[in-house]
Amino acid sequence: MLIAALVIAVSIGSERLAFFDLSDTQRSILFDIRLPRVLLGACVGASLAAAGASLQALLRNPLAEPYLLGVSNGAALGTMLAFVFFEQFFFARPLFALAGAGLATFTVYQMARSRAGMNVERLVLSGVIVTTFLSSIIVLFTSLLDAARLRGFTFWLLGDLSQATMSGFYLTLGASVLGTIVLRSQARPLNLMMIGERDAMDFGVEVGRVRLIVFGIASLLVGTSVAASGSVGYVGLIVPHLVRLSVGSDNRLVVPLSAIAGAIFVVLADTVARTVIAPRELPVGAITALIGAPLFIYLLRRN
Amino acid sequence: MFFGSKTGRFLILDFRFWILDLKNSSYKLTVLLSLVVMAALACHPVDVPSPVVETREVRDDLGRVVYVPVKIERAISLAPSLTEMIFAVGAGDRLVGVTTYCNYPAETAAIEKVGDTQTPNIEKIIALRPQVIFISTASQLEAFSKTLGEQGIAVYVTNPKTLDGVLENLRQMGDLFETSDIARKKVIDLEGRVSIVWNEFQRFGDPRPSPRPPKVFLQISRDPLFTIGNESFLTELIEKAGGDSVTSNVATAYPKISKETALALKPDVILLSDSEDNTGPSDVFKDSPAVKNGRVYKINADIISRPGPRLVDALEEIAKDLRSKN
Amino acid sequence: MLQVKDISVWFDERKVIEGVSLEVASGEIVALLGPNGAGKTTILRALNGTVPLKSGEITLNGTRLNELSRREIARNIAVVAQENETKFPITVIEFVLAGRFTRGAAFGWETPADIEAANNALGMCDLSGYAKRVMNELSGGERQRVVLARAMAAETGILLLDEPTANLDLSHQALMFRLVRERCRDVGASAIVITHDLNLASEFAERVILLKAGEVFAQGTTDQVLTRENVQRVYEVQVLLDENPASGKVRVTTVY
Repeated sequence: MLIAALVIAVSIGSERLAFFDLSDTQRSILFDIRLPRVLLGACVGASLAAAGASLQALLRNPLAEPYLLGVSNGAALGTMLAFVFFEQFFFARPLFALAGAGLATFTVYQMARSRAGMNVERLVLSGVIVTTFLSSIIVLFTSLLDAARLRGFTFWLLGDLSQATMSGFYLTLGASVLGTIVLRSQARPLNLMMIGERDAMDFGVEVGRVRLIVFGIASLLVGTSVAASGSVGYVGLIVPHLVRLSVGSDNRLVVPLSAIAGAIFVVLADTVARTVIAPRELPVGAITALIGAPLFIYLLRRN
Repeated sequence: MFFGSKTGRFLILDFRFWILDLKNSSYKLTVLLSLVVMAALACHPVDVPSPVVETREVRDDLGRVVYVPVKIERAISLAPSLTEMIFAVGAGDRLVGVTTYCNYPAETAAIEKVGDTQTPNIEKIIALRPQVIFISTASQLEAFSKTLGEQGIAVYVTNPKTLDGVLENLRQMGDLFETSDIARKKVIDLEGRVSIVWNEFQRFGDPRPSPRPPKVFLQISRDPLFTIGNESFLTELIEKAGGDSVTSNVATAYPKISKETALALKPDVILLSDSEDNTGPSDVFKDSPAVKNGRVYKINADIISRPGPRLVDALEEIAKDLRSKN
Repeated sequence: MLQVKDISVWFDERKVIEGVSLEVASGEIVALLGPNGAGKTTILRALNGTVPLKSGEITLNGTRLNELSRREIARNIAVVAQENETKFPITVIEFVLAGRFTRGAAFGWETPADIEAANNALGMCDLSGYAKRVMNELSGGERQRVVLARAMAAETGILLLDEPTANLDLSHQALMFRLVRERCRDVGASAIVITHDLNLASEFAERVILLKAGEVFAQGTTDQVLTRENVQRVYEVQVLLDENPASGKVRVTTVY
């Protein structure tokens, strides 16, 4: 299915391409522009969905999502700082994004935690607070610094795959594959933690270590995704939810299947973003949010 | 005592409006009234703003009826293009406020700044006691202008979509500020320069063996890739300069365009709106004739982004770039 | 075999447990009794190392508890606690298989032996046919039995039970204690049970530990500890004691 989605995405675009007998221009369109973008979309989708699925299990909350928890905004702020201060250095953006994502995750976790444990509302609220706080810092930066230099950022913040390059793709691919494997290795402990942290501890899970690994890897996945494509929202919410509906809640299935389904979802959403008002473009984040926000409200009401 | 009895009454009044507001839940009204009070406090002793002045009826670009004073003494411009126009018709000395973006001509430096185009400071505007405020629809101030209208400050909206529209605006400004003679001279001068460009294009613009005008891509920003579309006055300007904008059929004024489409456009000339995020052509153009032949030109972002009198400067510069064969 | 030597537990600046010593031998059931807030649950949590000690030490088969990993402890000690609700649609079999966590590789899947143990445990707890049911759709009593089944599936030498009968009807209360009893008798396991039901404790436990305000008030055999004076002083109510005609064990009746 992923392959089918990739093929569909590669064959559709604002320019029509004959598949055989490509001219130089058409080959250039296909290989330099469309293919990196589709592949990057797949990696970003896989990363965000796998991170979302494991964060949900870890926090015992089906509404946990990188975008809503402020993790994406942390990464966005990190990327922006890297862009402003270390523009030349290729690895600065993903590194700063990773640091930002990690800090935001940690902060939200500490805020949501209380003696009585963690409830849904508290977690969502903490996420909203951190998200808006980080947003205001980002806005502050865009107004303080030279407007022209950061103009692209406002577009990018919504989640935009149009700046895809092959080098960005390789980095995100590496992170998404490695991250998904590590998260999958924590799937069985996560199954126990989904029941309850106390229960998991009682039955032999090193809860602290699992938490550290999952937070760290989720930050890595979200960080590299955001550095490459901005904050594509709600992928980490929609995709694991749909996967759980079809295969149940065993994380040994949910984590890897979410990665695959996330890749399919973002690739298809971006195909819509690329073609629906061609030759103009929408940011892919607008499409995913359009589907995700109503689903979020539905889930919140049902809880 | 610092507060006179009159201001005290204003404060009480204001408080009553707050309560009213809670009932009506009309937020805007409250803000407005609070501002009136603040403005009143600012210019102690309190006097009712705008003593009776003789007004006349004019129509602005939106077709709205606007009552402006016969003699405009105090005006505010909320767009750099309008500031340039008002100076061009010789009425710059009557501007009491401009935006932080207004940097031309040099005299603007001495004029009070009322914030930028998107977020002007309404308190400051009211405190400057203008009779007329000039805005351009590009600055998206429709809601804001209503508030000012309720303050007894005339709001005049311009919306030029073409070069001719800009020249027409200049004539209007001349009428409004009673400097029609200067305006007329300015317009004739600009029209002359436009026709020179046009004539030279007729003479040189169609050289064999290339029987078509050069295909031009105007790049506003590099990443994301923004350009001009069918609603931009720049599309017409490129035509007048003897070129053909390759994105003239794309909807909206300043679209973000798909890189695939851009790659297939193969422009002969690329014009860069000169800014820090737009220092070179996008990578998708690396095989285009423009890049291969070195026909990439930077143009001052101010003169091509402002539908004001310097648009003719932009026209001349584009025409020169299009004609130069490296 | 679990040995507790003079432990104290503090939560922040508050003393919860002070100077508690006890020992649980193979094959016996020990009842942990006391009024609300006496520190019963805290002691139980300390016994599997999930609550840090301020002083004293606990040894499991001769090794100090804090030198063991969570996995090693869980391989020897299973817990039956109050189950908290989860927002995810977890099935009964998935829940019970959590008890087998220590047996397999973290990455892998359960072995046929794990599945068999889980199914046996379900059968024992009168839950045959519940495997694919979703936890959130079960009644409180059914869930409580699933929690017991998970501990049974873990096949540990020590069981810690925190009010295991709170949600159960009479027949399932008896079933619960019978199962624990059998486990202790058949494989030499030992169990520590917190309960408010003095009569159940008297019926099934070999020994009783009576707690008051974080300290051991009395411990010993059922007959030694469950005296009228002890019960009245710890619970601060009037009680009558007599003998259960069926089993000959002490029976406590509250006087209202």
